[in-house]
Amino acid sequence: MSQRFKNQLIAKVITRFPGLAKRFIDAYEPWASGEPTPWTPVTKPLSECRVALVTTSGVHHKGQEPFDMADSAGDPSFREIDAATISNDYVITHDYYDHADAEKDLNIIFPIDRLRELQDEGVIGDLAARHYSLMGHIDGHHIATLVGQSAKKIVERLKRQAVDVVLLTPA
Amino acid sequence: MGLVQREIEKAGIPTVGVSIVREYTEKVQPPRTVYVKWPFGHPLGEPGNIRQQRAVILEAFKVLYSSTTPGEIVDLPFRWRRYDYDSYAEPKSLEPIRE
Repeated sequence: MSQRFKNQLIAKVITRFPGLAKRFIDAYEPWASGEPTPWTPVTKPLSECRVALVTTSGVHHKGQEPFDMADSAGDPSFREIDAATISNDYVITHDYYDHADAEKDLNIIFPIDRLRELQDEGVIGDLAARHYSLMGHIDGHHIATLVGQSAKKIVERLKRQAVDVVLLTPA
Repeated sequence: MGLVQREIEKAGIPTVGVSIVREYTEKVQPPRTVYVKWPFGHPLGEPGNIRQQRAVILEAFKVLYSSTTPGEIVDLPFRWRRYDYDSYAEPKSLEPIRE
C-alpha cells in the first residue's frame, strides 16, 4: 500500500471519527518561533475594507501544478487563486484530510461565494481579485521556505492589491 | 497556517484565522483566532449550509474588531448540527474600537 493511499485512508477515517484524530494531532508538533505575537490594529470599518482569503486547504486551479504530496515534510509553495473563476475551476491536492465535502461546496474551506455575498450586501468593502492557497503541515527544512519565501511573496501581492484585512482558513 | 498569518500581520495587514485544532493554534500563537470543534476539512461548516458558513465568517470578523489581546483564541458556541444557525444574529456593520 503506498504512503499516499495510507494518508488518504487515515484522513477519511479521522474525519468520520474525530475521537481518533487526537493521536494524529499529537503526532504533529507545529513550529513556534518564540517571538512575540505580531499585532496590527484594524483602523477602518469593515464596510470599507478590501478582504482577501489565505487558506492552507490545498485548493488550487486545475491548470496549476498540484502540491507535492510525496514529501512527508510538505510542500511550502503557494498558488494564486483567481476569485472570478475558482468556484468553477478547482481541485484539492491534500492527502491529510477528507475533502469529499469540500468538493461538493468549496465554501466550507474557501468561502469565496460567502464573501462575495457580504460584499454585495455592503458588509465588507470589497473582495480582492486574487487570493492565496497553501497546504498545511509544513515541517523540517521547509518551514524556512514557507516563512522566508512563500509568506513574503504572499505579503507583497496582498499589499500590491491594497488588501486591508485577511481571513485565514485551514482544513 | 498560523506561521503565515503571523507574517502577514507583522507586515501591517490585520488578520483573523479560523482554527479546527486548538492545540496547534495555542502553540503557534497567531494574532487572532476563532476556534470551532468541528471535523477536519470543515472549518466553515457543512456543504450548502450558507447560514452556518456566514456565522463563522462574521464571528471571525467580530473578533478582528473586538480583540485587544495578541494571541487570543475565541471558542465559538456553534455545536455543529446541534445549533440553530437561523437564530444567529448577524452583525450588520463592524467598526474599529475608539479609544
